[in-house]
Amino acid sequence: MKTNKNQMDLEMNLNAPHSMGTTIIGVTYNGGVVLGADSRTSTGMYVANRASDKITQLTDNVYVCRSGSINLSFASTHLTLLFYLGFLAADSQIVSDYVRYFLHQHTIQLGQSATSKVAANLIRLLSYNNKMLETGLIVGGWDKYEGGKIYAIPLGGTLIEQPFAIGGSGSSYLYGFFDQAWKEGMTKDEAEQLVVKAVSLAIARDGASGGVVRTVIINSEGVTRNFYPGDKLQLWHEELEPQNSLLDLLNSSNPEPMNI
Amino acid sequence: MNRGSGGGYDRHITIFSPEGRLFQVEYAFKAVKAAGITSIGVRGKDSVCVVTQKKVPDKLLDQTSVTHLFPITKFLGLLATGMTADARTLVQQARNEAAEFRFRYGYEMPVDVLSKWIADKSQVYTQHAYMRPLGVVAMVLGIDEEKGPQLYKCDPAGHFYGHKATSAGSKEQEAINFLEKKMKNDPAFTYEETVQTAISALQSVLQEDFKATEIEVGVVKANNPAFRVLSTEEIDEHLTAISERD
Repeated sequence: MKTNKNQMDLEMNLNAPHSMGTTIIGVTYNGGVVLGADSRTSTGMYVANRASDKITQLTDNVYVCRSGSINLSFASTHLTLLFYLGFLAADSQIVSDYVRYFLHQHTIQLGQSATSKVAANLIRLLSYNNKMLETGLIVGGWDKYEGGKIYAIPLGGTLIEQPFAIGGSGSSYLYGFFDQAWKEGMTKDEAEQLVVKAVSLAIARDGASGGVVRTVIINSEGVTRNFYPGDKLQLWHEELEPQNSLLDLLNSSNPEPMNI
Repeated sequence: MNRGSGGGYDRHITIFSPEGRLFQVEYAFKAVKAAGITSIGVRGKDSVCVVTQKKVPDKLLDQTSVTHLFPITKFLGLLATGMTADARTLVQQARNEAAEFRFRYGYEMPVDVLSKWIADKSQVYTQHAYMRPLGVVAMVLGIDEEKGPQLYKCDPAGHFYGHKATSAGSKEQEAINFLEKKMKNDPAFTYEETVQTAISALQSVLQEDFKATEIEVGVVKANNPAFRVLSTEEIDEHLTAISERD
C-alpha cells in the first residue's frame, strides 16, 4: 500500500484498543487535595507531546486531570488532514471546555465560587450521557463547605467520591502501591511526595506514560503548581543511571572511553 | 385610507406616530426616570467607577438583597437603572451571551461588544409589536485589553455610546451638567479621584450626604481588571476623604 509512514502509524492505532496513555492521580490530604499527572501524549509509538499539561483548570478552586483518546470515530482516511487542520481534539478537552463554560456562568449567577461537587457532577452528566466519548477524569478541588475533595469519573460516566483516585494506563501499576502506601490525614508535603513517587513509578513501567511530573496543590490558601523534570526523578529497581551525552566521552579523563 | 393618527395605536405599540415619534420608546425612558433612582458613571485614566442610590423603601426588606449592580463576567459589570424586573432579565441574557462568547471565541467579551449586543436587542424591541422595550438604562464597564478602561451606556431606544462620564435616572440632566464641569479639559483621574468624582456628583445632585449603606459602588481597575463591588468599609473611606476635602 502506498501510504506514507505517518498514515501507517495512525492507521495501526485505529484498530488497536485505545488505552489512554497517561498516569493521573488525585489524593486528599489534611487541608486540601494534590493532583498529579505525567506529561506524555502518544499516538501509537510516537510521542506527540512530551511535556503536555494534563491538569486543567475549571475554576479558581477546581482542577481536573484528563486522560482519554483523541476522537477517531470518524473520517479515518482524512485523519492526517484533519489533524493538521486542528479539527481533532481530545474528548477530555472538549468536556473540560464545556464544563469550564458552565461553571463560569454558575459562578456568576451564584455570586460565589462553584464547589468541586458541582464541577464533578457537570462532568459526569456530559460523560454519562455521551457514551461515545472516551474520557477518564479525576476532578479535585477545595471549597469552603466540604474542604478538599476528589471525584473519579471513569469511562462509562460513573461518579464516585474517593479519598484518592488513580487513572490512565499507568494506573494499573499503582493499585498495589496505593494499597500499601496510602494513609488518611497526610500533610501537604507527604501527599505531594506520595503523588510524585507514584507517577514516577508508573512512568518507569508504563510505556505510554513519561516526560515530567506535574502536580497541582489546592487548598484554602489557593493553588500551587509544581514541576518535576523527568531526569530528576528517583531511579527505581534496575533502572540505569541516565547518560547525559556522548560528548562526556570527550571531556572524560578516562583513557578507556567505552568503559562507561 | 388616511389614518392620520395611526388609529391611536401609535401610543400602544411601537409603530411611528405621524410626527415620526415612537411613543412606546419615549414611555420607556419615562419608566426609567419613574424608578426614582439616579446613577453616575465616571471613566478615569486607568479605572472606571459607577455609583447608584440604594433605596430600600420598606423597613422589613433585607437590604442585602436589594441591588442594581450586577457582575456579568469576572471582568464586566452592569449597572441597571430603571425597572428592576426588566433589569434582571437583561442581566441574565447578558450573562449567557458573555459566557457563550468566551466559550465560542476563546477570549473575554469586550465592553463595547456586549454593549452593542444589548443595544441591538433593544432596537429589536422597538420594531416588534409583540414586545415592549425594556424600562432599563444599562451602564456597562470593564477594562478593554487594547483600549483600556471603558464605560458604555445603552438605552431603551437601542442607542449605545462610550462615555467619559455619564448619568441615568431621575436626576440625569443635573448630574450630566455637574460632570461636564468636572470633566472639562480631559482630566486624567486616578482611581481615587474617579471614585470620589462619581460619589460627590451623586451627593451634589441629590443634595444629601450619604451613608455608606445608602449607595452602591462598582469599580474596575487596569491593575485589577476583575469587576468589584466595594464593601461598606471601602465606601466609607471614600466618603470620609470627600468630606475632608470639602
